Amino acid sequence: MGVDRDYKCRVIKPDDFNEFWGLVIDELAGIELNIVCEEDKLRSDENTTVYQVFFDSLDRVRVSGWYSVPNSPKERLPAILLVPGYQSDPPIPKDWSAKGYACLSINPRGKVRSRNQFDPGYPGLLTHRIVDRNTYSYRGFYADAWRGVDFLLSRKEVDSDRIGVAGSSQGGGLTITTSAMRKEIKAASAGAPYLCGFMDAIELTDTYPYQEINDYLRINPDSSEQVENTLAYFDGISFADQISCPIIINIGLQDNVCPPETGYSLFETIGSNDKKLFEYDGHGHEAGRYVHSAIIDQFFDEHLKR
Amino acid sequence: MIDNRPIDFGQFWYSLGKELSEIPVAAETEILQMRSTDFADLYGVHMSSIGPYKIYGYLSVPKGDGPFPVIYYVPKNASVLEIIPQGTSNQIRSRYITFSVACRGMRTSDSPYSAMYPGQLTDGIESMSTYVYRGIVADTLRGLDFLLTFPHINKSSIVAWGNDNALLAGALHGAVTHIVSTPSFLYDSIQQASQTSSYPLEEFNDYFRLNPEKRDEVSKILAYYDLKFHASAITAETLIMADHEGGLHDSKTLSEFKENMSGQVTLHTSERSSYRDGMFAEEWVTEKLFGHDVAPIVPNHWKSE
Repeated sequence: MGVDRDYKCRVIKPDDFNEFWGLVIDELAGIELNIVCEEDKLRSDENTTVYQVFFDSLDRVRVSGWYSVPNSPKERLPAILLVPGYQSDPPIPKDWSAKGYACLSINPRGKVRSRNQFDPGYPGLLTHRIVDRNTYSYRGFYADAWRGVDFLLSRKEVDSDRIGVAGSSQGGGLTITTSAMRKEIKAASAGAPYLCGFMDAIELTDTYPYQEINDYLRINPDSSEQVENTLAYFDGISFADQISCPIIINIGLQDNVCPPETGYSLFETIGSNDKKLFEYDGHGHEAGRYVHSAIIDQFFDEHLKR
Repeated sequence: MIDNRPIDFGQFWYSLGKELSEIPVAAETEILQMRSTDFADLYGVHMSSIGPYKIYGYLSVPKGDGPFPVIYYVPKNASVLEIIPQGTSNQIRSRYITFSVACRGMRTSDSPYSAMYPGQLTDGIESMSTYVYRGIVADTLRGLDFLLTFPHINKSSIVAWGNDNALLAGALHGAVTHIVSTPSFLYDSIQQASQTSSYPLEEFNDYFRLNPEKRDEVSKILAYYDLKFHASAITAETLIMADHEGGLHDSKTLSEFKENMSGQVTLHTSERSSYRDGMFAEEWVTEKLFGHDVAPIVPNHWKSE
């Protein structure tokens, strides 16, 4: 199937987009982090100390993460916020620490170890309370990722001027929203970005997880307009013009999960003057990972390491 | 490293089968309207496994009379149970009965035991009686027991698809006719773990770092689950999805395993592209079950036109 590189997603950024998210940011600011950071001796090794992290986020939901730090750093460290895929379990990011970064791998609400207060399940998360933007699952989910930046800023070993964000698939989508909303982010790498061009993606693909929305609309055909209205507030493309940091995007032209058309449309919308798109023909949702990993490493080295 | 099959290997697995056979499947099914379509119905299935322990699966059944070939998605080493794997065309549910099972510890099968990921692979590994994997294998086999009770299946076309558990299913349950497997953590586990820092194999490295005195005992326990000792029992026609050349589970590493398997084996070396590897697997299964003249059902972005 040929890919239209000039494809434009139909989402229109709502007029009150900034007002909506401004209220969320204000609400988040009023909630203490209440950080617990416990060393996990089982997962730590001679090079890296791994911590289990817990803190409060929107609606006082307790979210967790894995925090990994190189042992005995000689100076303050650059840091990476690693944001997770949709159905995969957030990894312990020892590989990032081996490259010299402090790294928080966050488990937003509903993910493993962050399920006690909120757990719509999989499938389920993508359409949970979708008819109201004020109760939609991703309102809190996005805020949890942004809260990860606050955690990193609280760490004395982290250089607050050298924080990046990275992820693929849903992690790619969260990279977009986080780099748009948190100006502390100095570099961003988004792979195969999900949560971008929702209403186009459900027509371009016939695969889960986007199929969850089609499932929902099949049962609730009268909710179509409400669903589209809600998703406009959560679409990565609506956030993208607010990104000002250097950013790289990689997409697979045979991506069967996050259609490449939405990647092109997203890329055009990104506000940063320092943006680059890597297209991998012959690749699916892994979006050329085996080649692109080295590019990501080099990108963060250039932007976050002195 | 344990080089020889444990003396009581056969007895160990016989006793598991016997224990499982004494527990009724006791399936309860409920239709899930939201995930049903005009071409397939979806059911949630609760089943009993050893313990006793209640596990859960998603059963998708094409509209029509059948019988239908089956794709059995074996339990993963991950928390989330999917209806079909992410990125698989939903239309595949119009051709196959699909059944995905969450073993104990995964979501929907996590009461009372909720596994951590990473964590599941070494949970209770300090002794044979406490290691969680015996139950996980039982849960994998229980899914096949349920399928055999279902009237619309084509018993000559049952594909076990997934990780190492697909190969264990083929070795330990006679219902499996075809296997598509990506071995990741049960082939010579400790030796393989020593060459990587990636999870889930890194779990073994973590465990031995804190418990170095347990290495011999753990090696003995893992020998019962090691794929190389199950190879000769696998008679189903099999597609092994090997790592790229030089990868941990590449064709060189798996060559002896392949040679020792009893059924026909195709070993595919990863092209490091989920598209190319995925197409190979879909084409292989379609050809084996339907012949050369039937096209595989693939996602929109994998179609050439």
